[in-house]
Amino acid sequence: MLTFIVRRLAWTVLVMFVISALTFLIFFKTPGVDPARALAGRSPSPQTLAEIRASFGLNRPLPIQYLLMMKQLFVTRSLVSYSNQGLLVVPEIAAAAPATLSLVFGAAVLWVVLAIAMGIAAALLRGTWVDPVLMILALIGISAPVVWVGTLANYVSQGSLHNSFLFSWVPPLGYTSFATSPSLWFKGLIIPWITLSILYIGFYARVLRANLLEVQNEDFVRTARAKGLREPRVVVRHTLRNSMITFVSLFGLDFGALVAGGAIITEVVFGIHGVGFLTYEAFQSLDLPTIMAVVVFGAFFIVLANALVDIAYAWLDPRVRPT
Amino acid sequence: MRFVRSMHTTAARRVARHPLRWSGAALGVAALALAGCGSSGSSTPAASSSAAAKAGGTFTILANSSFGVADPAQNYTLQEWQLLIDTHDGLTTFAKENGLAGTKIVPDLATSIPTPTNGGKTYVFHIRHGIKFSNGQVLKPSDFVTTFERQFTVPGPTSFYSDIVGASACSTKGCNLSQGVIANDSAYTLTINLTAPDPELMDQLALPFAFAVPSDTSLKLLGNNVPPGTGPYMWKSYNPNTEAVLVRNPYFKVWSAAAQPAGYPNEIIEKYGLQVSDEVTAVQNGEANEVFDGDQIPSDQLSQLNSAKYAGQVHVNTLTADWYMALNTRTPPFNNVKARQAINYAANRTAYVKIAGGPSLAVPACQILPPNYPSYVPYCPYTTGPQTVWSGPNVAKAKQLVQQSGTAGMKVVVDGTNDQVGKALVEQMVSDLDSIGYKASAQLLAASVQYPFVQNSANSAKWNVGWSAWYQDYPAQSDFLNVLLGCNTIHPNSDASPNIAAYCDKATQAQISQAESMEATDPAGAAKLWTQIDHEDTNAAPWVDLYNPKQIDFLSSDVHGYKWNPQWYILIDQLWLS
Amino acid sequence: MATLLDPVEPAAVEAGSRPEIVGRNPWALAARRLRRNRLAVAALGLFLLIVVVCLAAPLYANYVAHVNPLAPNLNGTTVINGKVVPVMQQGGGTLKLGETPIGPTWDPHHYFLGADNLGRDVASLILYGGRSSLLIGIGSAVICCVVATVIALIAGFFGGVTDSILSRIMDVIWAFPVFLLLFSISTELLTHSNGFQFGPVHVSATSLWLPTVVIAFIYLPYVYRPVRGQVLSVVQKEFVEAAIASGATNARLVFSEVLPNVVSTVIVLLPLMVATTILTEVALSFLSIGVQPPNVSWGTIISDGEDLLYTRPWVSLAPGIMIVLTVLALNVLGDGVRDALDPRAKLRVEG
Repeated sequence: MLTFIVRRLAWTVLVMFVISALTFLIFFKTPGVDPARALAGRSPSPQTLAEIRASFGLNRPLPIQYLLMMKQLFVTRSLVSYSNQGLLVVPEIAAAAPATLSLVFGAAVLWVVLAIAMGIAAALLRGTWVDPVLMILALIGISAPVVWVGTLANYVSQGSLHNSFLFSWVPPLGYTSFATSPSLWFKGLIIPWITLSILYIGFYARVLRANLLEVQNEDFVRTARAKGLREPRVVVRHTLRNSMITFVSLFGLDFGALVAGGAIITEVVFGIHGVGFLTYEAFQSLDLPTIMAVVVFGAFFIVLANALVDIAYAWLDPRVRPT
Repeated sequence: MRFVRSMHTTAARRVARHPLRWSGAALGVAALALAGCGSSGSSTPAASSSAAAKAGGTFTILANSSFGVADPAQNYTLQEWQLLIDTHDGLTTFAKENGLAGTKIVPDLATSIPTPTNGGKTYVFHIRHGIKFSNGQVLKPSDFVTTFERQFTVPGPTSFYSDIVGASACSTKGCNLSQGVIANDSAYTLTINLTAPDPELMDQLALPFAFAVPSDTSLKLLGNNVPPGTGPYMWKSYNPNTEAVLVRNPYFKVWSAAAQPAGYPNEIIEKYGLQVSDEVTAVQNGEANEVFDGDQIPSDQLSQLNSAKYAGQVHVNTLTADWYMALNTRTPPFNNVKARQAINYAANRTAYVKIAGGPSLAVPACQILPPNYPSYVPYCPYTTGPQTVWSGPNVAKAKQLVQQSGTAGMKVVVDGTNDQVGKALVEQMVSDLDSIGYKASAQLLAASVQYPFVQNSANSAKWNVGWSAWYQDYPAQSDFLNVLLGCNTIHPNSDASPNIAAYCDKATQAQISQAESMEATDPAGAAKLWTQIDHEDTNAAPWVDLYNPKQIDFLSSDVHGYKWNPQWYILIDQLWLS
Repeated sequence: MATLLDPVEPAAVEAGSRPEIVGRNPWALAARRLRRNRLAVAALGLFLLIVVVCLAAPLYANYVAHVNPLAPNLNGTTVINGKVVPVMQQGGGTLKLGETPIGPTWDPHHYFLGADNLGRDVASLILYGGRSSLLIGIGSAVICCVVATVIALIAGFFGGVTDSILSRIMDVIWAFPVFLLLFSISTELLTHSNGFQFGPVHVSATSLWLPTVVIAFIYLPYVYRPVRGQVLSVVQKEFVEAAIASGATNARLVFSEVLPNVVSTVIVLLPLMVATTILTEVALSFLSIGVQPPNVSWGTIISDGEDLLYTRPWVSLAPGIMIVLTVLALNVLGDGVRDALDPRAKLRVEG
């Protein structure tokens, strides 16, 4: 176990390095990109541009610039945004992380619980009308673009039905931290949680149902049935664990990606200033330092999530050893 | 200045069927006062407000994105300027009045506008006594020395003040203006020496770049900390990811109601990050007071705003601005004047106006100068009817010109931005070009990439038609005719070359120089010459000018005292809340 | 219904004929089971219908709707109930702000689903858009699943260092700033309007292969990890041990023992991935790095319709419905294929 942890930590550092180097390269290879221009204010004279390049080290070779940026990101933590030199990138991300974590954790709890419920229900009630109806709902959920669902949700809750008893509790758009007001934090996140989880519930429910149905035909299940156990008990206690491999793999990937800033559209549509929102803004203004910081931050979480999933495999299927 | 589009341009609609909650709140007030609205082209009905002006309250503005770095020496956005005019003052300023009265230059921190001596190269300003910054320091003339030096030591636009003696030797490493800006703190005078006469100086001194900051202000970029100012408000905080907060300056007293009147709200807050459609909903719900006027309201909500319910809350004003497509005169086919005139004849400006939101939000344009601008005389040769106003395209003439130019069938790349409106404009231009025999294609780039891309001559071979937009810096003809179409603003291999079309005509340039030198001695003659230059440039067709945009101010129902100033647009601190 | 395995009637035997026992290979058996699954056949039919209709887009545009489908038509007019109406209508009230395209007329010859913000016929756009979206969605899902499965088989089967390296490469891919990559590539391509030449392959600036390949790339880890997890599990099972004991080669093990047992996971994932890839294309269009003009896709139509979601919901709704139908059809078909291929699945819909 210890070697596993040490090895994964080492890999994490390697992955973060590779990702950041690749990001750096792609950025500077993009045509029309010139950080000096953003840093020099609008309509700068050529002389000002040259001076900015010199003072920010932008005319040095790329590997040196990369190392400089990494130093500013990790060691001195003084990395400054290209689109606003008054902004320190590291505190900016630290301030945005709680919003994303709140959004993603809540949505994850919701989608895992509902997906397991739906998947089990559909598998148990195979042959009745419940199965196809649940599956169609699931498929509609995963086919509906987030931007649509979020927008419609806003339209209804902020706009037309804002004053009805149904939605008058909905606060104005935006994120309130838990420390400021737990009730506003909660109320402001309910609709974003639902919107984000709709995308995933369907996918996971279908995957789980398919795996449950397969496992149903295994011998050990026939044994359980032969012993006289009732179907729900058979499904939940005996087949669920064996069917969770795909579910857990995908969960690790999705959770990691969302924390890393993957909930861009949800955050933008609901005005939640999390890591995804920062990514979106940085992307629009081609703000390399913020992009780099977000990417590195994200890489860490993704590798962490995958490591946890690999450990979970061992629990789900004891014959598998984590590598 | 160039147009900065808000970043989040896709947005969704929301209907706020907000009931009578707000209309009852303020004695049945529904309409706002609009003094002298006719000349500025506002189309809102004027009505008197029955709510008395009173100080107090918090005025909240919602803006899609922040304005970047807050240091006034660098920031070149109208978004921050609208706030800086409330927190800082300069030697001169534009009168904080509604309509045309707001284009008048009045003395602000100076006691009067001086007449220049020494052949127009020396100005002596008397600085007012007893004015304090928001940190309690007293304003003195040497504060201006720091202010002007910062203009060069902080990276940013320098062209406005480059004719001050000593400025040419200034750079971000250091600046010595001891010969150019001379402060006498005992006589309380400030002398400015120029290398050449500059009739636009008073306008340039009224820009926030030249607003006074204390002399101990750092010469380096201050990031997001705005230095103290002399205005009725002061900056309490600015976080570009959340909000900016302005509170009252405790040391402020009115010294000139025309230049810097007292403000009504106790606090002004600007919040960032919502989609524009959500901003509109919030203002409809009364949760905020203004949708930042630079944010483009999406079409769904435009239709909502037509309803009589919002009659007093929506104000539309014509801007002195052009939205145009520059024609790359360096490469075929548009190095040929007939080809350029052809597309001008064929461009279906009605369609472009519809993309902008219809005739109530844009006016078709053919010429360079916008309406309500000095020297503007309506002129449109590229149409079928009378040559003063565009009435329809002349496709037959266009095709004829294409044949004559010998460029039929050539490939044309139309470059624009990839947001919704930008994309639509480009697709319409592609269609117009195809209709007269070219093979056009679209090239959509992100806004932050597109503007430098079309300016840089290194990319010249990659595009033929490039979208751009220009808003006045101040009401001077040279701001359009010289900056955008002058020979001296073509900077090869630079991302900052505002003459995108790379149009240079020696004869016209000579006229520009003549007009500039006539400003001081024969302003009327100069104005006529500028008109002539405008019409000549229009005939040479370096652009396809599409339209002059109008701007919407959408305010909540409890806002009164609306004033629209052609330089700063909405005057925020002159609004009061009921 | 009699199946091959039903006992033969004694009468037939006594009648003197020797019934032939016809052996059929598993694929033919599977095909037969699939044919009998009415729901799956219906789903296949729906999917083929969608494909055919989209392929017939030019026919619809020219002969039924009489429009030039991709060109803006802001000043155009159409006929509704015998009256000539402008396609774009100015706002009302005193301010008259905005221009709104006409809504659905439910007349296939005249803007059946209404017009979009450029005055184009939404119904024609949906069909043209389908071509791009189906190509990108299905193409990338197939590429992704095939490539990821191969890599997962190798990683899961060989284990050890191979597995570590491949899995870490997949971590890098998953953590990759794909939006930045796409932005960079598409800016690069767009500013070279003649496209690029890679040997014999010419990639034009507006090629649909760019989003297809990039989206396939993005989701490799998403298919890789579950499949690898399954492989790891299967490799431990007894029948694999038995096969190894009987001297099977690696190739045989992978393809005959492991693959069939993970293929059902892939089959479940494939149509779900089509939903994901189509939606990714919608998200990319929202960020303006997806399909570029002159091409349209369901994503660009939804994106363009964002500003009209309240007044003209059909512009965004219609492509969304097409996406739902496509995803539904493929998933039901996928269920049917899975059932057909799995001989042990007792719970099959009766044909």
